[in-house]
Amino acid sequence: MIELKNLTKKYGKFMAVEGLSLVVPKGEIFGFIGPNGAGKTTTISMMAGILVPTSGNVSICGIDMLASPREAKKKIGYIPDRPYLYEKLTAMEFLKFMGDLYAMASDGFEQRAEASLTQFSLLDWADELIESFSHGMKQRLIMAAALMHDPQVVVVDEPMVGLDPIAIKMVKQLLRDLAAQGVTIFMSTHTLQVAQDVCDRIGVIHRGGLIALGTIEELRALASSDGGDLEQVFMILTEGKGGGR
Amino acid sequence: MAGNHIQTLLKPRWWGTLNQARGEKKNAGIVKLMIIGGLGAAFWVGALLICLRMLRYFSGVEQLGDILAWKFLSMVIVTIFSLLIFSSILNSLSKLYLAKDLKLVHAMPVEGYTIFLARWLEITLDSSWMVILFTLPVFVSYGVVYHPGVFFYITVVASLVLLSFVASALGSFLVMGVVILVPASRIRTIFVFLGLSVFILLYVALRILRPERLVNPEAFSATLFYFKSMTAPSSAFLPSTWCYDAVMAALQGAPLEALFHLGLSLSFVLLMIFVLVFTADFIYFKGVSRAQTSAARLFVKRRLELPLFRRFSGPVKALVTKEIKTFFRDQTQWSQLFLIGALMAIYIYNFKVLPLDRSPIKTIYLQNILSFLNMGLAFFVLTAITGRFAFPAVSMEGEAIWLIRSSPVSPRSFLWIKFFMYLVPLMVLTLLLIIATNVLLKVVPFMMVLSCVNTLFMVPGVVALGIGLGAAFPSFKSENPAQTVTSYGGLLFMVYSAIFIGGVIVLQAGPVYTILSTQFRGGALSGFSISWIVLSFTTSLLICIMMVILPLRFGEKRLLKILYY
Repeated sequence: MIELKNLTKKYGKFMAVEGLSLVVPKGEIFGFIGPNGAGKTTTISMMAGILVPTSGNVSICGIDMLASPREAKKKIGYIPDRPYLYEKLTAMEFLKFMGDLYAMASDGFEQRAEASLTQFSLLDWADELIESFSHGMKQRLIMAAALMHDPQVVVVDEPMVGLDPIAIKMVKQLLRDLAAQGVTIFMSTHTLQVAQDVCDRIGVIHRGGLIALGTIEELRALASSDGGDLEQVFMILTEGKGGGR
Repeated sequence: MAGNHIQTLLKPRWWGTLNQARGEKKNAGIVKLMIIGGLGAAFWVGALLICLRMLRYFSGVEQLGDILAWKFLSMVIVTIFSLLIFSSILNSLSKLYLAKDLKLVHAMPVEGYTIFLARWLEITLDSSWMVILFTLPVFVSYGVVYHPGVFFYITVVASLVLLSFVASALGSFLVMGVVILVPASRIRTIFVFLGLSVFILLYVALRILRPERLVNPEAFSATLFYFKSMTAPSSAFLPSTWCYDAVMAALQGAPLEALFHLGLSLSFVLLMIFVLVFTADFIYFKGVSRAQTSAARLFVKRRLELPLFRRFSGPVKALVTKEIKTFFRDQTQWSQLFLIGALMAIYIYNFKVLPLDRSPIKTIYLQNILSFLNMGLAFFVLTAITGRFAFPAVSMEGEAIWLIRSSPVSPRSFLWIKFFMYLVPLMVLTLLLIIATNVLLKVVPFMMVLSCVNTLFMVPGVVALGIGLGAAFPSFKSENPAQTVTSYGGLLFMVYSAIFIGGVIVLQAGPVYTILSTQFRGGALSGFSISWIVLSFTTSLLICIMMVILPLRFGEKRLLKILYY
């Protein structure tokens, strides 16, 4: 479960996120959408424990991120939007690195890692240096690594960037399967179709504040857009309040 | 049209520099500027004074004085030219083929040769400004000693600028040709390796010639004869010769001759620009395309755990294994290791050939005093190596630092793991240096023990300073993090390390002298001496402990702020 209480982040005078409160229950896929510069990545960074909020707090499975970052981070699998990795390691070595960092047991690691690489169509590249990988391959490797330690919460920033249609389909199914197993998923995306396809609830953030929250139907009702898709709903909700910053 | 494009392509660099200057906080920026400026000025003035002293000494030597001065000038210019070429080769590889923004620039609707010319101008500036700035004192000293007038200084600047253009043109031309044959990712390694090999060979050759024998009067007469026979001119086809001839002509009051030699350099630069544009139009873009491909791995055997670290905790194992693997897979690090190996061998060899028996001071005194001073010297060598390897250790994480930020490893643990990782090899290396040189000096057991104990306590201080300040002033976006030691943080590391080493050595000098002289005289230490010795060594110990704790704490605090706020 994820709980955000009055989360605020200021960069100097600029208010990136303002008083964001939100609860994402166990097993839910929550989509976080908004225009460029709305505060999505800042919120996700605070949830993943890589950015300290100016005020408010983040709780992951009941653990306060500020008070016990180590314990909270152990529960999270974080997938950033840009796949920066150690280019001189092989895919398998990178998974081992992440496994050790999250104190995973060494017994049976190789079999698990191979299964994970197979799932993400990377097994043939297991012993190749990451520097020879394409953007999409790196993104898939990060996903494999983020799920290796069986996280209870998955935080994803733009999951589909750089992925081919087959990988997108696979990732969508994977997210559904994880949620069915009780994993909480929080993902930010610009691909509104993906959000519409897999998310149980969607939050719309604009200029640092949450302007709408609910299921697709609830958002449609809020935007008075009968039968419109998420793109139309998004336009109606954000256009009235000015574009991105 | 092409001129406008070149101007546009150079703008991001110019604006970036301006924005960086504006972005500096006012006070911090001024302090930074003052420290860097102060150190630069100190080096400049120091170099000028040394050159003046040398030239005045030369002018006192009858008949040979001028020959020595001219020969020195010619050697300086040849060295500058070699440095400029080496530097421009490395810069050409980075800027023309390996820079991150190349894809963006080549996607723009401009001709390949325009991109090349804009980059070449940057290469010329980057690879030459420091060389020119820090070799100017040599030329100024000639101006002071020989009073040639203003024209000399104008000629010097013009000659050096033209020499820089010639060197960068030759460097870029060479790189463009080679990249067509070998991928750029491999070439940088090859050039760094070849360059350092040449440097090491030259250094070893010079060392084996034993220039200290020049102080031996019998050998010196032969050397004078040798110098006298060296007045033959250098090859007229070398660009360094045109530069030398122009400077010499200006120095001897022959402006027309100086202008002629400057004209030679200028015409060559213009010719090279034409050749470069012509060549770039044909092969530059082909080389850029080739540079996008990465080389295949030679060894693909899977080894996930290094046996030595199997028993360590997960995060320690993860970080140590990653560090070792990435270090040894980065070929640019190998050449540095070779360099360190060669420098260590030469360092130890220096002690083997010390003419201790010819010294007027009693040998046993000299051996032990030298051993004490050697400690300081070895720690300065350690500082240089720490600056090259441990200081950039945090920056080496690069943009992948998010992996550490999001992992359940605190910045404190991260820094301490890094500290121990670099402490072990650097400790072994310094102990090797100290013990080997002490054995060669045949020091008394007290000095051997003192040197080893000092090493055990001081190496952690220097390494912690490197890791701590490296964490406090990281550069995660740098294309070459190893160069961060030349940054402001690197400079602070060097200064603090020198103060630390100097402080401990000065603190121990008196007590060590007292102990040694009492030992040699066969007397007993007085009560006052014992208290003084205890106080000095305790203070040294406290300083060493603080030097481990404080820099790491400072680094952690700053890193927390940089990464999480």
